[in-house]
Amino acid sequence: MPLGTGQIAEPRLVQAAQSDPAKFDALYELHFERVYAFAASRVRDRATAEDVTSEVFHKALANLPTYEWRGVPFLAWLLRIAANAIVDHAKRAARELPAPDDPPEQANDPNVQASEMRAIEHRALLFRLVGQLPAIQKQVVLERFVEQRSIKEIAQRLGKTEGAVKQLQLRAVQNLRAQMEGSHG
Amino acid sequence: MAKRSLALQLDEVVQAMLVSLQPRSEKEPNRELASLQRVAQELRDLPREQFRAALKSDLQRRASMSESTAAAKTGMGEAQARAIHYLRPGLTSITPYIIVRGAAQFIEFLKSSFEATERMRVPTPDGKIMHAEVAIGNGAIEVSDGSEAYPAAPQAIHLYVDDPDAAYARTLQGGATSFYAPTDDHPSGDRWGAVKDPFGNHWYIAKPRGWTPGPEGLRSVQPYLHLREADKMIPFLEAAFGAEAMGVHKSPEGIVHHATIRIGNATLEIDEAHGEFQPMPCHLHIYVPDTDAVYAQALRAGASSIDAPRNAPYSDRAAGVKDAWGNSWFMATYLGQ
Repeated sequence: MPLGTGQIAEPRLVQAAQSDPAKFDALYELHFERVYAFAASRVRDRATAEDVTSEVFHKALANLPTYEWRGVPFLAWLLRIAANAIVDHAKRAARELPAPDDPPEQANDPNVQASEMRAIEHRALLFRLVGQLPAIQKQVVLERFVEQRSIKEIAQRLGKTEGAVKQLQLRAVQNLRAQMEGSHG
Repeated sequence: MAKRSLALQLDEVVQAMLVSLQPRSEKEPNRELASLQRVAQELRDLPREQFRAALKSDLQRRASMSESTAAAKTGMGEAQARAIHYLRPGLTSITPYIIVRGAAQFIEFLKSSFEATERMRVPTPDGKIMHAEVAIGNGAIEVSDGSEAYPAAPQAIHLYVDDPDAAYARTLQGGATSFYAPTDDHPSGDRWGAVKDPFGNHWYIAKPRGWTPGPEGLRSVQPYLHLREADKMIPFLEAAFGAEAMGVHKSPEGIVHHATIRIGNATLEIDEAHGEFQPMPCHLHIYVPDTDAVYAQALRAGASSIDAPRNAPYSDRAAGVKDAWGNSWFMATYLGQ
C-alpha cells in the first residue's frame, strides 16, 4: 500500500520541509488525496471539503516548526487538524442556520478509527489512479463526476457520439476497478 | 425487451447518483454492475484538478514568503494562520452590497418579507445608515443609504426560501410589484416567482426542486447579474477572482441563458439581459484569501481601480475594482481573530 512507502520517507520529508518550507511540496503531494478524501467523507459538499483541505495544509505549513516526529505519523497530525477544522465549520454553519437534521456523529469525532483510515486510503488510491487513466477516459471521468456534465454535453465537447462516451465511461470505471482489485491482491 | 448494455446500465446508475435519485432497481441484481457502481460512487468525491493545483501554488507562494522573512521568525506563523481565516464571521465569499434610498425602510421590508434579522447597523451623524448587515436564511446582505459618491444601486437577488408562495405574498404586502407569481413551470425546475421591491431591487424567490446546478449546500442569497455579452463575464471572473463556472447553459449561438459561478464558498448567477431583466450595475462584497494579489489579478483581467488595497479600520484588508459592465467588486481579507 502507498502508506508503507510514505511511512519510510516521511520523517525525512518532514525534516526537510522544517528546514526549508519550499520542500513542503513533497508532503503535499504525498497526502493531498488522503486529506481530501477524509474531508469529503465527513462533510456534505465539495466547497466545504475544499475549504477544509485548504485549511489543513495552510495550518500544517504554518505550524510545521511545532510538529515533532514521535511516532505519530504526519498524516495523523494532518487528519487531526482536518477533524478540528470540520468541527469548526459545523459550529459556524449551525450558528448561521441550524441544520434540519443532525450531521452524522462521525463528522464531529476528532478520532479516526482504523476502518475509516482504510476507507481513506482506498479512496485516495482511487483518486490517484484516475490520474493514470488513458487521457480520454480520464477526461470523461473528470467531466462526468467532477463537473457533473451530461453525457450529451460531454459528447459535444469531445466530438463523439453519446454511445461512445458511455463506453468510455464504462471502460474507465472497469479499469479503475481492476486496478483497485490488483492493489489489494 | 432487448437486454440493455452494461455501458447503458452503468450510465443510468451514474446519472441517478449525480442527481441524487434512487437508481432503477434491476429485476435480476447484477453483481458486475454493483461492483462498478461502488467505484462510481467513490468517484463522486473526486477532487477538482484545478483546486489541487491552485492550493499547491498558493502553498508554494506562502512557503516562499515565509522563507524570505525567516529572519523575522516570530509572528510569522500567527500571520499565516490568520490569513486562512479570511472570511469575516457571518459572511460568505460573496455578499450583495445594496445601496438604496431609505435603507432603514428597506431593512424593515427585508424583515417583514423574508424573516431577515438585522445583525449590525452603523448610523451616520444625520441618522442615515452608513452600513448595516442583515441575515436572511444562511446568507446575508449588506445595506447602506445612498450618497453622492455611492448613489442608490438596486440589484437582482436569487433568494432560496422554504415557502416561496408565502414570501412572495409578503413582498406584495410590503409594496413590491409582481413580475410573476410562483410557478412550477419555471425552466429551472424550481418553484419560482419574481417581484420588484419598492426600492428597485429584483427578488427571484425560489424553492429548489430536484437538482439545481451549483454546489450542494446552496446559499439562501445569490446575486443575479443580467448582463450584455454575459459570455464575456465568465472568463473575466475566472481571471480576476479565480472563479469557477459550475453550470453554463448557452444557446447554439453562444448566448448565456444561465450560468452559476463559484467564488470561494459561495455562488452568483448570470444571464444575458433580456426583456424586463436588464443590466443593474451593482456592488458586490467578496472575501478573498489575499486582497493584494486578487486586486492585482483583477486589474490584469481588465478591471479598473476604485480603491487600492489598504487596511480598513474594521479589521479588513480591503480594495475595490469596477468591471467593464459597471459592477463594483469590493474585495476584502478579514484580518481579525
